[in-house]
Amino acid sequence: MPDDERYSLTELADLAGVTPRTVRYYLAQGLLPAVGQMGPGSKYDSGHLARLRLIRRLQAEHLPLAEIRRRLEMLGDDEVRDLVGATEPDPPTDTALEYLRTLGGSFAARADTPQTSRSAPAPSLPSVAERPVAAPMLMRANMSLSEAPVDPGDATVRPSDRSQWERIVLVPDIELHIRRPLARAQNKQVDRLVTIARELLEEDRP
Amino acid sequence: MTARTDTTFSVHPDRRLIRPTAHSQRFVLARIAAPRATTERVRPPVNLAIVLDRSGSMSGEKIRVAKVAVEEAIARLRPDDRFSVVAYDDVVDVVIESTPASAEARRGAVERLRTVDARGSTNLGEGWLRGCEQVARHLVERGVNRCLLLTDGLANVGMTDPDQLAGHAAELRARGVSTSTFGVGNDFDERLLQALADAGGGHFYYIADAPQIRDAITSEVGETLEIVARDVDLEITARDDIRIEPISPYPIQARGNRTIVSLGDLGSEQAVEVVLRISFPYGEIGRETGAIVALTDRDGVFGPGGSGGSEPCRLIWAYADDRANDDQPRDADVDRAVGRLFAARARQEAVQRNRNGDYEGARRILDGTARRIRGYAGQDRVLRELIDELREEQVTYAAPMAEPSLKRAHFASANMLRSRDAAGRSVKRS
Repeated sequence: MPDDERYSLTELADLAGVTPRTVRYYLAQGLLPAVGQMGPGSKYDSGHLARLRLIRRLQAEHLPLAEIRRRLEMLGDDEVRDLVGATEPDPPTDTALEYLRTLGGSFAARADTPQTSRSAPAPSLPSVAERPVAAPMLMRANMSLSEAPVDPGDATVRPSDRSQWERIVLVPDIELHIRRPLARAQNKQVDRLVTIARELLEEDRP
Repeated sequence: MTARTDTTFSVHPDRRLIRPTAHSQRFVLARIAAPRATTERVRPPVNLAIVLDRSGSMSGEKIRVAKVAVEEAIARLRPDDRFSVVAYDDVVDVVIESTPASAEARRGAVERLRTVDARGSTNLGEGWLRGCEQVARHLVERGVNRCLLLTDGLANVGMTDPDQLAGHAAELRARGVSTSTFGVGNDFDERLLQALADAGGGHFYYIADAPQIRDAITSEVGETLEIVARDVDLEITARDDIRIEPISPYPIQARGNRTIVSLGDLGSEQAVEVVLRISFPYGEIGRETGAIVALTDRDGVFGPGGSGGSEPCRLIWAYADDRANDDQPRDADVDRAVGRLFAARARQEAVQRNRNGDYEGARRILDGTARRIRGYAGQDRVLRELIDELREEQVTYAAPMAEPSLKRAHFASANMLRSRDAAGRSVKRS
């Protein structure tokens, strides 16, 4: 996204699916950051758009405006973009050469024994098109199961025939999916993630 | 920020009004032309692997011409470029390890190429991946890193699943290694080679006869040397409830309000046309809705301040009653582009049906598309000719077709869909 992307008030309202009046109201209420001088020539950026989308989403969950403001205040533009899925996908963490090495099966074995390739096809990896946009936990909790994200670019874990998914129910209706096995350090991180997520989700429940 | 005069970026909607209580579909034609590579420009280095099929079927003229083509390609490189050559049948050999293209290395390559003979069966997947590995070992961050795969056969040994191979092509592309493919003769699988090139961010070439191998490799290497903007993306920002899809077969991603269409690398003055289909939700009469279309690329060529600097384009549609919708003017250029692309898609589908023995299905696809185009063609001469062509082709497609005709028809349509000429070459802006 070019950082200089600038929208007029009408464009911003249209892109977010609200009326210009609503945008003005949110500006007045401090839900959206002010843009210097208010007026017909004011220009808004992609941060405004992301915030507007998040406000709409939280409203759809019947959160009061005061609560929405409280949450928005705690978030930077990048976090807001993360939450509405507007961020760039993480670039692959491994190089092309490392990727080729992970193909295992036929390709890793080829140097000395090319014949093995016939009986040992490499495991299929998810294509780029399937790669979900990386998003923090709060977002994941809002996503449907079919979008449950995995990061296939993590160099420490490779999908293999032995890996399998584990479902952890954080609270009713919200699950965390983890592809096992994980490295020990990641296991610890997941444990912490579950604890933090449960605290957060419990406190926010009506 | 003023756009340079030699760059074009414009978007054209076919119509500007949409219906309040129907899910209107409208088309947008985006025209893009890359800036010219200036003579004083130092072109980015290229890092090529050329992968040759040396299975038994390549014996004789095919392998001989292929080797000449490789020699010619290598001769065009500069010392700061790199190249490697891989040959495969059921066994994969790195004939020339990735090396800087010094005069000495280029001379040595000619000697080594003489040792390549045709024999054995076809481990296409591994041969190609070995080529990618040669490129990946010396990845040039600021350069063009590409593997060229030439084959006349099917992948029948090792990794053979087209989806799996295309998945790897996409992953390698995301990591900087692109793939172009060359299919020679009647026996290769054009769907596999097309999928590898599409997912791999490169190009696919159909080569009917051995002598054309040289032309195809020459033009692909030439394009690689002329690239001025890498990883060009068309970004469309619109409301969540507006659906955007390209009619051309470019990879697409959705990120929040943005839809990103990946056009790949563009060469000096290369012109590309992309048609988008926009599907609108219901809306109140009088309300306007819009989209913002922007161009970006890895080298900042199309960004503000780049040599091809281009401002985002804004599109506006208005909800209006059915009468106004029926009476509104149409942009004939957009209608023609849309008609051509749908005809190309129908022909590709008809090729597959014909090959599978579904002759009636092949005929029906062409007939249906001709009828749909007639629905908006009016008196337009170009569209009427297109309809006549589709009608005439129905006869051909309704009976068994020879493999070279099928391959030719696929290739012609594939090129049409990707703004390339009949020989698979990129098109310069006029």
